[in-house]
Amino acid sequence: MKIKHQLAVFNLLTRLLIIVILWFSLPMLIQKVVYTHIDKSILEKKQKFFAHLDNVEISDFITRKDSTETYASFSTLHSEFLQLYRAQKPAPKYKDVFVNERRIIEEEENDYRVLYYNFTYAGNDYVLEIGNSLGEINDLTFTIRFFTTTLLFIIVLITFLADTFFIEYLLKPFYKIINRKIRHVNEPNGFDYTAIKTHSADFHELDSVLNQMMFRINDLFQKEKQFIGNVSHELLTPISLLKNRFENLLQNESINDEGIDKIVSSLRTLDLLKKVINNLLLVSKIDNNQFVNNEQISISGIVSEILEDFEDRIEEKQISIINEVGDFTFTGNQTLIRIMLHNLILNAIKYNVEKGTITLSTNLSPERFILSISDTGIGMTETQQSKIFERFTRINIEQDGQGLGLAIVDSIAKFHHIDIKVISKIDAGTTFTVLFPLDIK
Amino acid sequence: MNVLIVEDYRELAAELADYLSKNGYLCKAVTTCDDALEEIAVNDYDAMLLDLGLPDGSGFDVLKAVRKSKSKIAVIVITARGELDDKINGLELGADDYLTKPFALTELGARLFAVIRRIHGFTANELNIHGFKIQLQDYKVSFEDTPIALTKKEFDIFQYLSLNKNRVITRLQLTEHVWGDVLEINSDSNFIDVHVRNLRKKLAAFSKLDWFETVRNVGYRINI
Repeated sequence: MKIKHQLAVFNLLTRLLIIVILWFSLPMLIQKVVYTHIDKSILEKKQKFFAHLDNVEISDFITRKDSTETYASFSTLHSEFLQLYRAQKPAPKYKDVFVNERRIIEEEENDYRVLYYNFTYAGNDYVLEIGNSLGEINDLTFTIRFFTTTLLFIIVLITFLADTFFIEYLLKPFYKIINRKIRHVNEPNGFDYTAIKTHSADFHELDSVLNQMMFRINDLFQKEKQFIGNVSHELLTPISLLKNRFENLLQNESINDEGIDKIVSSLRTLDLLKKVINNLLLVSKIDNNQFVNNEQISISGIVSEILEDFEDRIEEKQISIINEVGDFTFTGNQTLIRIMLHNLILNAIKYNVEKGTITLSTNLSPERFILSISDTGIGMTETQQSKIFERFTRINIEQDGQGLGLAIVDSIAKFHHIDIKVISKIDAGTTFTVLFPLDIK
Repeated sequence: MNVLIVEDYRELAAELADYLSKNGYLCKAVTTCDDALEEIAVNDYDAMLLDLGLPDGSGFDVLKAVRKSKSKIAVIVITARGELDDKINGLELGADDYLTKPFALTELGARLFAVIRRIHGFTANELNIHGFKIQLQDYKVSFEDTPIALTKKEFDIFQYLSLNKNRVITRLQLTEHVWGDVLEINSDSNFIDVHVRNLRKKLAAFSKLDWFETVRNVGYRINI
């Protein structure tokens, strides 16, 4: 998940949480405000009532002395009422008690907020009830709740969109750094050093540090390339001299057989030295991406050519070849792919038994072109299998070679994003599976 | 045949000159770009062996100057830098061939022979070895007008030994010539012997081969 998406999700979730909290807490808040307001107005009415209270008035309200009479007065729409009657049972006096009640007043049922107030006047206990209808208030609460939520929803939507666009705008340089720079760190030669435009100091710093880092890597890379060139020159020129000197010496008639043997043996050693150096240079050049990889290579063509080159070895060991390689065109470096397949097929021959078989077959999966090279040779243990791609590892001490063949295969495969798998069983044979990617970036 | 050797490593230049003069070339060795250009301007050379890393510049500069002057000199670039771009660069600038150090002197001899023949056209296109005619261009061998069917490897071996007549050619040199400069360690083996045996069998049907010598433990030699 990209950081801008993570931020957007986080934004959305926090806002949703706010809406949910408000949806549940808003009615309580409104109710509290409304009740405070109503209670205040009821208490004002109560005060007005007591301000005018005297004997005359109370007898205006309650004429008879019995306790059943109730004075009641209603406003026209029954939104308010006031009742006064003699207290039937004792209750705490001079105390405001607010209750929400459902009442039927003149055949109309309504919710009311009612104040009960017990008091004593001229030796008599009275109860005063002042009510205020809640019907309108309930309607109002719902309306307020609805409007507030709608408004909130709109605000949330607008701020969410604004946030998203702003984040997108802010992170744009960041994604540019990723797409134009970080994705290309493996190709130091073609690195784009142009500064990315940004108003954020962090991204500016990231960009410039990245540039500095790549500059240093490129510098080291060039130095290493130069070093490889120098090493090859400094080592191979003296080898060249010795080789040519020995070759000239070989033609000297005055040297006896023993001398000739020593010269030939020295020439072989020089050849070994040359090849070890060339192999190491090859590995290091591959690892430093010093090869072009845009050549069109026919895999079946290369396999046929290699088999032709190995004709003599195959005949000598009387090995049967089953070549079922289907055609496939791979984009990469022809020289390297040839070396890779050469080394793999050479191993299949070298570690095979007399009259053995080598099977070369191919398969096409949706993402890979798969080439399998199976031999019926001596095989390897699992410990051996795990080490074969390391430099200077020899599976079999009796076999010659310097253990660089498969290290080179490994480097070439990595250079081309090719996967290589090994399955091997002692005395049964080894299968190398080469998985070519179908499209190479 | 005059050959100019441009190589700053004097000892190597001396070995090259030693080999080439024994093969009938007249050699002069110089160590710098300036000396090379001066030599070419003053004397008439048929071929030049050109090292790339010279103390006063790159061998490529010499190559450029030489090609500008419309000289017909054959140029073989010799360098330890076997990098692909160098190879392409060298051939684009007009080098006739390219050898990577270390190379076999016999390989140098064969290449030099080929480029001089190609450029100047005055060396024989045919070699005559004790009655066997080797047609270099057509890869054909015949004995008194009877064609002999040789495989490509057999022809390569016969031609290589003939071009380096009277010299012992080691198995290593033959292997490298026939199979190319492979990276495989200890690539010289008895496979070359199998091909030489077949070649001799085919040639022996026409004439006695006492001139086609096997040198014990070393290799082969064709004596003339």
